Amino acid sequence: MNDAPVLIQARVLIPGLARGEALVLEESLSFWGGFDPAEGRIIDVHHPQYRQQVAGKILFIPRSRGSAGTPGGIAETIRNGSGPLAFVLGEADVNIGVGALVANRLYRLEVPILQIDAAQVRRVKSGDWIEVDRQGCLSVGR
Amino acid sequence: MKLDSLDQDRLDGKLGKAMQFAMETVVTAAHIDQADSLIDISFAHIDACFYNGRAHLDFVNYMLEHGATLAVPAWTNNGLVALNDLTVRDPLASREMHEARELMQAYVRLGCNPVWTCAPYQLPGGPGFGEHIVGSESNAVSYYNSAVGARTNKYGDYLDVCAAITGRVPDSKLHRDEHRAAQLLYDVAGLPAAVRRNDLFYHLLGHYIGSHCGGRVPAIAGLADDCNLDDLKAISAAGSSSGSVPLFHAVGITPEAATLEQAFHGEDITEVVQISMADLRQARAELGENSQQPLAGIALGTPHFSLTEFDRLVGLLDGRSIAPGLACYLTTSRHVHAQAQEKGWIEPLERAGIRIITDTCTYFSPAVNGLRGKIMTNSAKWAYYAPGMLPVEVLIGSLAECVESAVAGEVVLDAWSEA
Repeated sequence: MNDAPVLIQARVLIPGLARGEALVLEESLSFWGGFDPAEGRIIDVHHPQYRQQVAGKILFIPRSRGSAGTPGGIAETIRNGSGPLAFVLGEADVNIGVGALVANRLYRLEVPILQIDAAQVRRVKSGDWIEVDRQGCLSVGR
Repeated sequence: MKLDSLDQDRLDGKLGKAMQFAMETVVTAAHIDQADSLIDISFAHIDACFYNGRAHLDFVNYMLEHGATLAVPAWTNNGLVALNDLTVRDPLASREMHEARELMQAYVRLGCNPVWTCAPYQLPGGPGFGEHIVGSESNAVSYYNSAVGARTNKYGDYLDVCAAITGRVPDSKLHRDEHRAAQLLYDVAGLPAAVRRNDLFYHLLGHYIGSHCGGRVPAIAGLADDCNLDDLKAISAAGSSSGSVPLFHAVGITPEAATLEQAFHGEDITEVVQISMADLRQARAELGENSQQPLAGIALGTPHFSLTEFDRLVGLLDGRSIAPGLACYLTTSRHVHAQAQEKGWIEPLERAGIRIITDTCTYFSPAVNGLRGKIMTNSAKWAYYAPGMLPVEVLIGSLAECVESAVAGEVVLDAWSEA
């Protein structure tokens, strides 16, 4: 428990500051149809974390899943305050990035989007304490 | 990244705040995609008109208030509600339905061509071979790339609109030759010819490939010579539901795949998958089992019904009526609806008990007219999505099986299905 935090340098897709508890998704998720932006909850019945709340988390997503509706789901959950405080992706995802950019321009809400290697995602466990700085340095504490 | 002086002016706000926001979004997408430059587009299919929360409305209102105009022809995808039929999803039923209608009207004000269809490629005047375009709805992206030979990545909401405002997209992925080569081959030549000529086959094949190919570009060999545009639509929609298939090559059929060599850009074929009847049966089972529940309804037209599908439906129904009490829905575009009307098909189909809907679709929430229970569909896309969004269980059948079931009021499967 007293281990020094692990530092991971991410690629910054959308910059910002965040700190909170990690939530690591076991499978990719469509933010249209599989996610309720009003409640910030996973509603895809096929997803292993069905009904999981994502509000206030640093959300780690190993693989992306394309859906034209994704940016709207992201912008809407940020607008509602029901969404994650940051997204850390195993693959660059334009849709998630654009959703966060639009929410930032329309509502002045800052949710950073970062990319790290999928192998690095596996070093993080749900419940880890994460701090994100503007240069994309992730500090992972247990 | 290289920006030309006009792009730089757009980004710096010299052409107004709407253009600045749009350009910033395109440049951010290019950064995320690691593209070196931007290219011109000639056309956009807009998905952001499909309501997905208040942010959608705030976005287009920002663009309208700051004087946005469109640089290229932009056609609208389905909306959440039907603008021309308030009984499909009542705009007064909730704030969301009201805003969904407002959103669609806002895109008309922005200058979009209000075609309200997920199958814009069925309409005249669209993009052609080799054009760089913006596609958004997943089946249309796959169809434009594969069947038309236009070039698009799978664009999402907001970026589709920003690309139409700027006329620019990142020069990345499927816009570039080197990303359009086939990477593995699916061979269907071992299947009986009668199976390869059945419309259900293309849905099952698309479903199989989508779940199997892992995002790689597939080529398909051994399709029947009479494989038509409705069949290519089926592969596009089914593959893009069970997985990600923004481009496929049908060898000897689609425009970038006259030969296997052309499909693979002259590279060696390193992976060949033979499709068997067992694969098709499994795909069919994954899309829903025929339970003991009574049949409650039929859903046709996902993606939107084409004129040739109307023609087949009229022939298959042959003057008979839908069983009393059974809900039978058919979704199509206004354009194809008008063509079918000219042929004299709409009125008899409606009289037979088929509810024909334009502008929207039936597979997502909220349910159209309380649609629930066991639903049979001819669409793998409908079968894949509806059970997660509506209180339905589903099974898939060919158009002929759907028609016979609709008339009988219970599930009727043909000989191939039971083989």
